[in-house]
Amino acid sequence: MIISILYYLLTGYIALLIIWNLVKSKKWQEEILYIIILMPFLLRLFRLK
Amino acid sequence: MAYVKLTTLRKIVFSLAGVALMLFAGISFYRIRHLKEPVVLGQGVTQVKKLSDYFKGIKGTINDSYVYMLEGEEAGGTVLVIGGTHPEEPAARLAAWIFTENALLEQGKLLVILSANRSATTVTRLGGAYPPDYTIETPWGGQKFRMGDRWSNPLDQWPDPEVYIHYPSRQELAYIDIRNLNRTWPGRPNGTLTEKTCFAIIQLIKEENVDIAIDLHEAELQYPVISTIVAHQNGQDLAAMASMMISGMEGFDIGMENSPEALHGLSHREIGDHTDAISLLLEAPEPMLDATRGRTDRALLLEGKDEFIVKAGKHGLLFEKMDENGWPIDKRVGRHCSTILQIIELWSEEHQEKALIIKNVPRYKEIIAKGTGAFLHNPATAASNRIKYE
Amino acid sequence: MFTSTQIILAVMVAVYIVAKVFKISTELSLFLAAISGALAGGAGIPARHIVEGAFTYLDICLIFITATLFMNLFKESGGVAFVIRGILTKFYRHKSILFILITFLLLLPGALTGAGSVTVLITGGMIAVVLNYMGIPKPKTAAIIFILAGLSAAAPPVSLWAMLTAAGVNMPYVGFFLPLLIPCILLALLTIFILGWKAKPANLEKALQELPASPRGMNWLKIILPFSVFFFLVVAGRIWPFSFPILGLPLMFIISATVTIIISPAKLNILKISRETVEQLLPLIGTLTCVGILVQIMTLTGVRGLIAITVVTLPLTAVILSMSVVLPVSEAVLMWGAAPVLGVPLVLLFNTIGLNPIIALAGMSIIWPLGDALPPTAIIGRLTKDTIGMKEPYSQMLKYCIIPAILIIIAGICMVLFSKELSFLTML
Repeated sequence: MIISILYYLLTGYIALLIIWNLVKSKKWQEEILYIIILMPFLLRLFRLK
Repeated sequence: MAYVKLTTLRKIVFSLAGVALMLFAGISFYRIRHLKEPVVLGQGVTQVKKLSDYFKGIKGTINDSYVYMLEGEEAGGTVLVIGGTHPEEPAARLAAWIFTENALLEQGKLLVILSANRSATTVTRLGGAYPPDYTIETPWGGQKFRMGDRWSNPLDQWPDPEVYIHYPSRQELAYIDIRNLNRTWPGRPNGTLTEKTCFAIIQLIKEENVDIAIDLHEAELQYPVISTIVAHQNGQDLAAMASMMISGMEGFDIGMENSPEALHGLSHREIGDHTDAISLLLEAPEPMLDATRGRTDRALLLEGKDEFIVKAGKHGLLFEKMDENGWPIDKRVGRHCSTILQIIELWSEEHQEKALIIKNVPRYKEIIAKGTGAFLHNPATAASNRIKYE
Repeated sequence: MFTSTQIILAVMVAVYIVAKVFKISTELSLFLAAISGALAGGAGIPARHIVEGAFTYLDICLIFITATLFMNLFKESGGVAFVIRGILTKFYRHKSILFILITFLLLLPGALTGAGSVTVLITGGMIAVVLNYMGIPKPKTAAIIFILAGLSAAAPPVSLWAMLTAAGVNMPYVGFFLPLLIPCILLALLTIFILGWKAKPANLEKALQELPASPRGMNWLKIILPFSVFFFLVVAGRIWPFSFPILGLPLMFIISATVTIIISPAKLNILKISRETVEQLLPLIGTLTCVGILVQIMTLTGVRGLIAITVVTLPLTAVILSMSVVLPVSEAVLMWGAAPVLGVPLVLLFNTIGLNPIIALAGMSIIWPLGDALPPTAIIGRLTKDTIGMKEPYSQMLKYCIIPAILIIIAGICMVLFSKELSFLTML
């Protein structure tokens, strides 16, 4: 249980890093890719998948 | 300035597209995880227990599944039918459903689990492109079921180890199989959710003095263990007899195989090794599980027709015949129902004091003639205290 | 069904090529190919399948991110420079001992985690520096690290191709240890000795002058401790599987990273290093995610089945001979998705014709990683080039991979062909 919570925290931290990099990115292809890789992290964080 | 605004606008547009994708997908995932599947309790159901009645450690978890008890007036033997070990094999759950909604016991006790791994019913296989659900047509409309997966939902059991070491044999298995209910038998009380689920069912088998445990499955046609009864050594004679009788009487062929002693974690091995019950596992053919299948959709799941698999059959790559008629769900459900009935009848003939007499369960030919849906009951017309939701 | 599926496949390939012509990145081209496949297959824009496919490698992405974060923190703490200086000082005269040591160091991380990229990231960068000071040019060094990283991923105990295929055919992951270990060690040693044949004992003085100085306060204990913690956590899970909690590789890397942060003599900007790690891994994680989406759409539309049925219904000789091309190419396009798409039907085919499925699958498992150097994804190849800072064209690295790759393919195919004779290796 504690380990699962740590995994959700880790997922949230990585999601934040991805969002941060998305905001800072200046290349449109990179931006799309950041959004694609963000999807599983967010949906796991929201416990939807 | 204009450039900054443009990039910001671009990011907003991309993000909105991403949010839209996540929203549509997220709603679908949520709906399926919370889809209620009604079970209309047949007249034969005398009690409904939960797995936590046998092992407290599973209480409050998604896998605290119902155990439907059908008891005859006359004492006799006890048989456990396990459906939903791998929910992606729908004929297994549907056959168990038919028993729960229709069977009448005159002697003995029948226990039925419809969602042995309920967690696995709430998710679909990554990369498998499964439909989220499927509908069985009935005379009163359609009944919708969750498609499910082979493995427990990571939302209920996360993370996986880098390699799964089976308890108690220490056999190494693929990491993902730590969420596979048919690799975690006999389970343990302080293990993962999937292991605890197996432990709970083992406790049930012991407490209820189950004589025969029958685990229902489906398999891909390219897999050698198909259309067969896999039997622990304690059930070899019974399985062999059933195989012969079925081939002669029911209108279809089914083989019999011995449970390999070196393969651990499987129900046909561990239930037999760790309880007094005879342990049997039934396999029916399910084309949608084949790696060579074409388009993956509800039609393939329910009709079982696929040209690519027919081609594989022509090249001698299959262990079960496959033609343009495919393997419709009614055939697969019918096989399971008839095989269970034959096993119980043969057992009862040999063990009068531990016999089970079951009425009102359709057999292979009747299910093919009328359809699986003909044996599912309308929850809208049932008394509310006779409905459970899986 | 055949014609309509062939059309969908053709549309996907065409869209991929057009996207590449318009200089769209490999990752997005794969994504566009997937979307076009769904549209051509009449599925519209299937949000559920796109997102579900994106989930396929989530756990593997977590491993990559945490492993790389750990290594980046270790590097910033000055550990890498210290280790290279240490290894060079001790073994600079003994080429053979150094090669054997390097083989071990390169095989271990991938063998334990199942990911060649972890080998590249954890030890690849450091070892590249040592090899360079032995006079091995960077493209050759990259080839050594790439090939050994691939073999490390195939090596036991964790070989994801073997595990995923075994799980796909309901076969327990048992009996694979020696059939994977022996070829991986032999081929790794062959590779390093062949490609490093002309290496000279390192010029110690010059090398030490050029290497960055390690920070004050760094010592062997501080180097060994984070790796020992990681190693302990992995081994503990195996020795006491029923009493030790299931941590999973990502958490093990995070714990080791935390140890690195605590004992680092240099002050580490964790947030900055974390952000840079995600930026550095964007191509890798992007590729994995888009491949997941692609495989899902291929399965949805029947394209996956079309490829599988086409391969397994070729004449047997053609199947076995074409494995030298089909396996690496399937890896290059689908990465681990190649295991369920091709591995499963091939193993079932081999089983049907009486070959030993364990040895045959082990043979296939050593060939698969070669595809990680090939386009479109070339994922480990690109990672190796970037990690060791190779400036030469990528094709130079590929040129040096040819001889070891041929040896690996021959070994792998022989294992399939003689799987019955080699079945004693399974110890079953």
